[in-house]
Amino acid sequence: MIGQSVYVPRLLPELESLAPGHRACIGCGEVLAMRQAFKAIGRDAIVVNATGCMEIIASQLPYTSWRLPWIHTLFENTAAVASGVEAGLKAMYRKGRYSRPDTKIVAVAGDGGTVDIGLQALSGALERGHNLLYICFDNEGYMNTGIQRSSATPYGASTTTSPAGKESIGQFSWKKDLPGIAVAHRIPYVATACPSYPVDLIEKVKKGVDTRGPAYIHIFSGCPTGWGCATNLTVRLGRLAVETGIFPLYEVENGKYTMSYKPEKLRPITDYMKPQRRFRHLTDDAVEMIEKRVAVEYYKLLEKAECQK
Amino acid sequence: MITLKIDGREINAEPGKTVLEAARENNIYIPTLCVNEAVAAYGACRLCMVEVTRGNRKRLVASCLYEVAEGLVVETRTERVVNIRRLVMELLLARCPNSSEVIEMARSMGIDSSRFQSEEDDNSCVLCALCTRVCREVVGKSAISLVGRGTNRKVALPFCEDTDACIACGSCVYVCPTGAIKMEDNGDVRRITWPSSTHEFKMKKCASCGSYFAPEKQISFMIQKTGLEAEKFDLCMNCRP
Repeated sequence: MIGQSVYVPRLLPELESLAPGHRACIGCGEVLAMRQAFKAIGRDAIVVNATGCMEIIASQLPYTSWRLPWIHTLFENTAAVASGVEAGLKAMYRKGRYSRPDTKIVAVAGDGGTVDIGLQALSGALERGHNLLYICFDNEGYMNTGIQRSSATPYGASTTTSPAGKESIGQFSWKKDLPGIAVAHRIPYVATACPSYPVDLIEKVKKGVDTRGPAYIHIFSGCPTGWGCATNLTVRLGRLAVETGIFPLYEVENGKYTMSYKPEKLRPITDYMKPQRRFRHLTDDAVEMIEKRVAVEYYKLLEKAECQK
Repeated sequence: MITLKIDGREINAEPGKTVLEAARENNIYIPTLCVNEAVAAYGACRLCMVEVTRGNRKRLVASCLYEVAEGLVVETRTERVVNIRRLVMELLLARCPNSSEVIEMARSMGIDSSRFQSEEDDNSCVLCALCTRVCREVVGKSAISLVGRGTNRKVALPFCEDTDACIACGSCVYVCPTGAIKMEDNGDVRRITWPSSTHEFKMKKCASCGSYFAPEKQISFMIQKTGLEAEKFDLCMNCRP
């Protein structure tokens, strides 16, 4: 499913919900993922957007790139506002003041707004079972405020608040497994995706918005500014993250795990780390340690998918 | 700009657009199976039927083929439309009783079973011809086509045999609305299963990392089409400079 046809880009919907001319950095993987995701969502949608890169680049007063109804919220209450929008629309439909029962509610947030600050609101929305899709664009840090660490930053990455040096290895904790937390809420649909695999991403988002009840999609999107890599490498790094097992692509439908892509064997992790400045200080021992941990996590996941076949 | 009315809503549309396009731009849902913007409209599935009033005349048309016109009145949810859609859906359901996409679509219209007898063989092709149209209009190979007539009509390679025509690109697999065409990559072999036959294609190995990345026939088609040297296509996506 992932190695789709070379002609697929020409068969995708032409509709663009995000107008060009926004202020994303060169090589931004997040805005690429957003474009792909909204091709799947279509026009009948309301977007709730947390503070973050995707909010500031697309809404420079008095302009906006959004061709959809759009609300800006704070870091912490994106999921809460989305729940409110959903409940409000439902009430209006019941009272006959709104005619379209299928309007999709899409909450969009970065990793900071999801894994750190917005986690309790997200947990509440998932637990209450609102019919919405929550998309987290994960670039592994607070990139637009100056590359601070978040709990989605991987172990060993150097950021401005976890600088590498004599005393510190960089980020000292492991990346928080948010898809895992979402699965633990027993919601109907959870998936991970990456804009380097556009067909897969679009299909997952389509599944997510069509799901009755809450759906959560975690999208791994490269950030040349924050990761310190060349701007033409965003897509390749996404692919390498998947092929090294750092960010496996899978979906969980009603608790059932399915791997979307299984590389025949995992690539060496240095393929992924070498082009990035944030990992430049890591010694061979540290890399080996990370590689072991990545493999353990990857095979744990693989086992989950295998045992439920 | 042309002004027309769809379900009581005044809608502006560019001349030359179809009723379906105008409706979709304004969030009015019309079900379809055989529509893709990349290829010309064909009108195969008949699920997009709507009722059109022009002057005193009222009739059913396929909205994917019917062009917008000034003062047109379109209804997408009248009893007549719902009835015909129901009939079409039940016929499709009888043809493809095992296709999850067809079942899902029928369910969204409130249809659980068909009044017609189900076909016995495991068939999920609705003969919408999206695959053959994409092969002709987008890929430019015309490798597959609809052969036979009536109940024997099916999608097939010429004489259901291995030919050089198909480059195994997989566009037909992607575009199929009901999952009737299947593709599987297994090591150096790509296997594509059409409703008529299964064929295997050899994959090309990356000169650097050794992974199989594209069918050999597709690569030679690309070489011919772009006019570049063959060496440019030796490496997979991750190994290219």
